[in-house]
Amino acid sequence: MVATTGLPAPQITRPRSLMVGTMFACAAALMFFFSVVGIYVHERAAARDAGDGWFPEGVIELGPSGFIFWTLILSIFTIQWAVQAINADDRINAYVALALTGLFGAAIFNQLWFIINDTGFALAANNAQFLFFVVNGTFIVLLTVAVVFVAFTFIRAMAGQFGPRRAEAVSSAALFWNTVVFMWAIVYYLIYIAK
Amino acid sequence: MTMTDSPPVADTALAAASPRVVGLFDALTTTDHKRIGRLWLRSGVLALLAATIVGVVLTVENSNSSADDIFGGVNNYFQYFSAYRFGLVLLVVAPLFVGLATVVVPMQVGATNIAFPRAAHGAVWLFMIGAGITVVSVAAGGGWGALDGVSSGERDAIALTLVGTALVIVSLLAASICIATTVVSLRTAGMNLLRVPLFAWSMLVATSVWLLTLPVALGNLALIYLDLRGGPGEYGTAGGSGAIYAQLGWLVEQPQVYAFAIPVLGVLGQIAPVAAGRRHAQHMVAVALIGLFGLLAVGGWSQPFFQGGNYDENFVFIVFGLFAVLPVLGSIGAATDTIAKRSADDDGGASASTGPGAGTAGAGISRLLSVHGLGAIGAALLLLAGTVAGLARVIQPWDLGGRTTTTAVMNLVLYGAVVAAIAGIWFWAPKISGRHLPAAMGRLVLLDLVAGAVLLGAADFVSGFLEAPAFGYQVAGSTAPLMAVPSDQNLIEVMNVVGAAGAVLIVLGVLGVVAALAKAARSDEPVEDNPYGGQTLEWATSSPPPSGNFSEPPERVVSEAPLLDTVRENGEEA
Repeated sequence: MVATTGLPAPQITRPRSLMVGTMFACAAALMFFFSVVGIYVHERAAARDAGDGWFPEGVIELGPSGFIFWTLILSIFTIQWAVQAINADDRINAYVALALTGLFGAAIFNQLWFIINDTGFALAANNAQFLFFVVNGTFIVLLTVAVVFVAFTFIRAMAGQFGPRRAEAVSSAALFWNTVVFMWAIVYYLIYIAK
Repeated sequence: MTMTDSPPVADTALAAASPRVVGLFDALTTTDHKRIGRLWLRSGVLALLAATIVGVVLTVENSNSSADDIFGGVNNYFQYFSAYRFGLVLLVVAPLFVGLATVVVPMQVGATNIAFPRAAHGAVWLFMIGAGITVVSVAAGGGWGALDGVSSGERDAIALTLVGTALVIVSLLAASICIATTVVSLRTAGMNLLRVPLFAWSMLVATSVWLLTLPVALGNLALIYLDLRGGPGEYGTAGGSGAIYAQLGWLVEQPQVYAFAIPVLGVLGQIAPVAAGRRHAQHMVAVALIGLFGLLAVGGWSQPFFQGGNYDENFVFIVFGLFAVLPVLGSIGAATDTIAKRSADDDGGASASTGPGAGTAGAGISRLLSVHGLGAIGAALLLLAGTVAGLARVIQPWDLGGRTTTTAVMNLVLYGAVVAAIAGIWFWAPKISGRHLPAAMGRLVLLDLVAGAVLLGAADFVSGFLEAPAFGYQVAGSTAPLMAVPSDQNLIEVMNVVGAAGAVLIVLGVLGVVAALAKAARSDEPVEDNPYGGQTLEWATSSPPPSGNFSEPPERVVSEAPLLDTVRENGEEA
């Protein structure tokens, strides 16, 4: 045993830069999303005020979009499971949770592809169908960012870069993921439920 | 269990003087915030030169009341008119402040580097790619819309302009995240947000506003691009001529244009105490006023989709226009108070002034008339003039909306920002490049820029009262001639000549800046670490700063002017 002459080393406090940066990124992503959704709502209200229709009756089915919603709700549990596991230094559970979250993301891409084909909408058909593509496309872009974020976090976790004292990256990925889930809740209500 | 004799060194990677690698490899691989900042600054100055030359051509064309002389048609005129406006905001002012902040802010908060240095580096290259695409596409007939509708031949070039603009905005957002995160999470011990230097604070406010508003423009751009690429024609081509510009014009008009000038107040608040050689007399007030100005500069809500045709009558728009002048006036008052208290100290022989900047009244005046002192004052006055013009614009009985008053607001505010950025470059040159910029040339350049901006802004402001229409408004949805028939055509033509003279002065000033930078680049004169009596942490390190910024960690900060605290502790009060 090495002789000591001083107190135990103080714990190094690391700046939570990634978490803070992710918060700013989430704010920017939300503003991007809401700008598009705001235009969608504005145009839909204008069309209805003018007595025009919006989507044709019965074309947009609630089922597939509901699957996406519930898949995303499940993904909230898995991403938070990852955060909890990494904080508990339970690496196996963290790997499984992050992989499942990424898998849910891939499933959502698949479901969105199905919805877009199922509706038979065309970009140039009319304003309503155009905005349907724009809003869903915006969500797809942001979901892609979230999936890439989770994938990078997964790879870094596999490399052993995270632990109870370095769980910030996983928490940050979870924050961005949950933000994207919140966005789908808005899309789900505005486009698929309220139509 | 093994215990160590001393605590482990935190991962602050202090100081080590790294071997200096220069050239393209360095530019492509560096993660040093100072080098990244210099890339931003070079890009901004180059874009400033290009934008001001376009501005001269536009004003000369205006002075002839016809769009056919130089550009060969109203359509081409419109392309460069919109390029000048968007270029001045996105390619000039924002990058200049981002560059300045990327160099200075980490040092001001006592950090060893900017947060996410690789992202910051990626952002500057993305910016250059986006700016290049934008410039090339405009030269190829693109731009932000076309007066006579977007033809199939123009469609691709315009789409390319939109892609370039989107890349520029994404790069600014990435840089904003790096700067804001640096201020929030990398502050040194003891530096709470109220003790953050005013320039760093103003950049935190500015980047926060940009992060909340520029994504809205990104949403607009996505919508327009997709419409051009196969949409129903509601956004990209329909809605009459200039429809694309009409959707994006809020970026260059009040209140959003104020967002790009928030750092002007930070530069003023930073330089005034140094010029006075004493602490800022109203630091907390200045912090609050900068925050208030940021709130009044949030403009994403003012785009046409959310405002319809009642833009000028919107209550929030009017309130923002009326109140925006208050924080600017207050910040100028706080700076004046600081300088006046210094003068009172000098007259009364008191010794409230402290630190290396303290001295005689003559020295105080000399500091006030330094390049950065003059620049900060000029920039603040231009911003004040811009917000006053904005106040006049929202007064309903005058009905100035849609007239050249809107151009006056834009020019005064943005050139105020340009002057502040250039004053900042002169002020922080020892930290940016390790060299002094020539003082005599700097005074001349800044006075010239301020005079040019005043002429340009005043001409548009007066023309607005003479019912001269702002081009963008006139063409939206119509193919009317360039100039409508206002109340006094002759006086407007005089004003156009005055405006052209102002634009020429501005170009001369920018050429002076380029010449001064070139001259300084050849200088090998040694520079003091703190030549002006700076009070914040960037002046606690060498000029140029080493890799890692500080040779040893800054001491715990106990006030907003840590270097004055150090002087006081050492018993060096004046």
